[in-house]
Amino acid sequence: MSENTISAIVLTLRVAGVATLCSFIPAILLGYYFSRRTTATSKILSTIATLPMVLPPTAVGYLLLRALAVDGPLGPRVLGFNIDLLLTWKAAVLAASIMAAPLVIRTAKVAFDGVDPDLESMTRTLGYTRVETFLRTSVPLASRGLLAAAILGFTRAVGEFGATITVAGNIPMKTQTLAGAIFSAQQVGRTDEAYVLIALSLALGFVAIYTTEVLADKASGHKAPQV
Amino acid sequence: MKLSTELQAQVSLTLDRFRLEVDVATHAHVTGVFGPSGCGKTTLLECIAGLRSSAAGRVVLGSEVWQDSADSVFTPTERRGIGYVPQAGLLFPHRTVKQNLEAGFRRARREGGDPAAIYRRVIELLELRDLLKRRPATLSGGERQRVALGRALCSAPRLMLLDEPLAALDQPLRRKILPFLRSVREQFAVPMLLVSHDPVEVQALCDDVFVLRDGKVVARGTPQDVLTDPSVFAMADEQGFENILAVTVLDRHPAGTTVALGSGATRLRFELTEPVGTIDDHCFVGIPARAILIAAEKPTGLSARNIFPATIESIQAISETSLIVKARFDDASAPLAIEVGHAAVDALALRAGLRVHLIVKATSCTLYDAAAA
Repeated sequence: MSENTISAIVLTLRVAGVATLCSFIPAILLGYYFSRRTTATSKILSTIATLPMVLPPTAVGYLLLRALAVDGPLGPRVLGFNIDLLLTWKAAVLAASIMAAPLVIRTAKVAFDGVDPDLESMTRTLGYTRVETFLRTSVPLASRGLLAAAILGFTRAVGEFGATITVAGNIPMKTQTLAGAIFSAQQVGRTDEAYVLIALSLALGFVAIYTTEVLADKASGHKAPQV
Repeated sequence: MKLSTELQAQVSLTLDRFRLEVDVATHAHVTGVFGPSGCGKTTLLECIAGLRSSAAGRVVLGSEVWQDSADSVFTPTERRGIGYVPQAGLLFPHRTVKQNLEAGFRRARREGGDPAAIYRRVIELLELRDLLKRRPATLSGGERQRVALGRALCSAPRLMLLDEPLAALDQPLRRKILPFLRSVREQFAVPMLLVSHDPVEVQALCDDVFVLRDGKVVARGTPQDVLTDPSVFAMADEQGFENILAVTVLDRHPAGTTVALGSGATRLRFELTEPVGTIDDHCFVGIPARAILIAAEKPTGLSARNIFPATIESIQAISETSLIVKARFDDASAPLAIEVGHAAVDALALRAGLRVHLIVKATSCTLYDAAAA
């Protein structure tokens, strides 16, 4: 395995890991909010939060690029300092977080939908505040679904390409992730390297999705018929 | 029985089909909320628990004002000191029975209570010792309700709200759990509000009952007053009223069971024809109002074995053909309702204060007993 390949793998795991960590807490809070509130406001917010899932990733990347540009709303001119994200691995984290968030939010919402709100009321009658109730009853009861949400978010972040390449570029040893490395290998015809990278992606994806399948089964208490 | 703590609930809330508009105050140990399903009973409990923030009104327990919309006072649920026992138990599925029982310990301690002591009493009283390590999913319906009751008690509540705690159980099981509720009543001086549509439950547990229909209180009184009124309780007309009396099993023999009504020297020995029950068990006997005869003088040469002197307390017409006579045995605490025709009242010149003898046919009585279930 070349140095480039190893660097791409390490970077991918780092970017996806950090992106999952960053987006997880806001995403499960939003998922909880969308699960418990069915007002027009919550629906509109839910739609906005889901948009990255249906937009072309390059569109999201371009919007981020404009936002982080010198005169953009997150640029040095407006903020008064330079957060200096563009073309760094941190930009890849930002792109991956945004692209993964809808999947995490939606999976978390489904997990919280399965928690009986009456059990939360019961917890409150026993003397626990809303926040304590969330931590003591809602989260533990939704834990399998929330773990599945984190795994799906992580895999989505691993596979992110379009938005990442727009804001972070595809610089070998610096911002090149698995997806970017496969693209480069294909572009220059390094078939062997492409296959290695694809096999790695397949293995990672298989383990992740298989884990969520098992978690989903346990969460619903479903047992397949024995033959 | 009266408690020093008064519960005042003045609540108004617009619901889908009607407006809940209730204004009640009670000192009773156990207050019943009686009514058909969908009359707003559960919503009323939720308002008192603080789970319906959109409800307007005033909720006061003793000296604590939990809600006063006029003053914008609203104590959140977690600070009201509620012990809630819902129909479905709502045990925490991810915790063991022991952990469920301990869920309210923190609140109990904060309130200056001794949860460990209550816990020991509760385990004893509700017979939970063998269940402690189990998960709610492995419990039977009756076990779940006992744990739910125990969990509420262990949180040292200032007010117990019981929302049809036995409704999810089948009839025999309900009669089996009823004595547990009765012991909770005897051993804990916590005011309780019990939602129910079961006349047996209401009589066995409540001192004061109000009847809710389409969100309004339509009647209020003792269980007997309320349940013998056909305009309040439709079943009073069809099946007749059934008196429910707390008794203790004295003896069980092949021909039947002897139970004691009341206690001490003045207790009455009551013969039942069903050989059921366990000696010293506390249970309930059901005596239909139509199965009691009134005699002006002590009758002799009758096959009936249950003949007791009593004093008439009141007479009230309930329909064109029948009246309810309320009479009290010499020692028994609760009066007995007897359904009679107008002719009987005239023939015997029945009136309040008159000494009579009541004749109860043993075969008409039912023993509601844990072991019989």
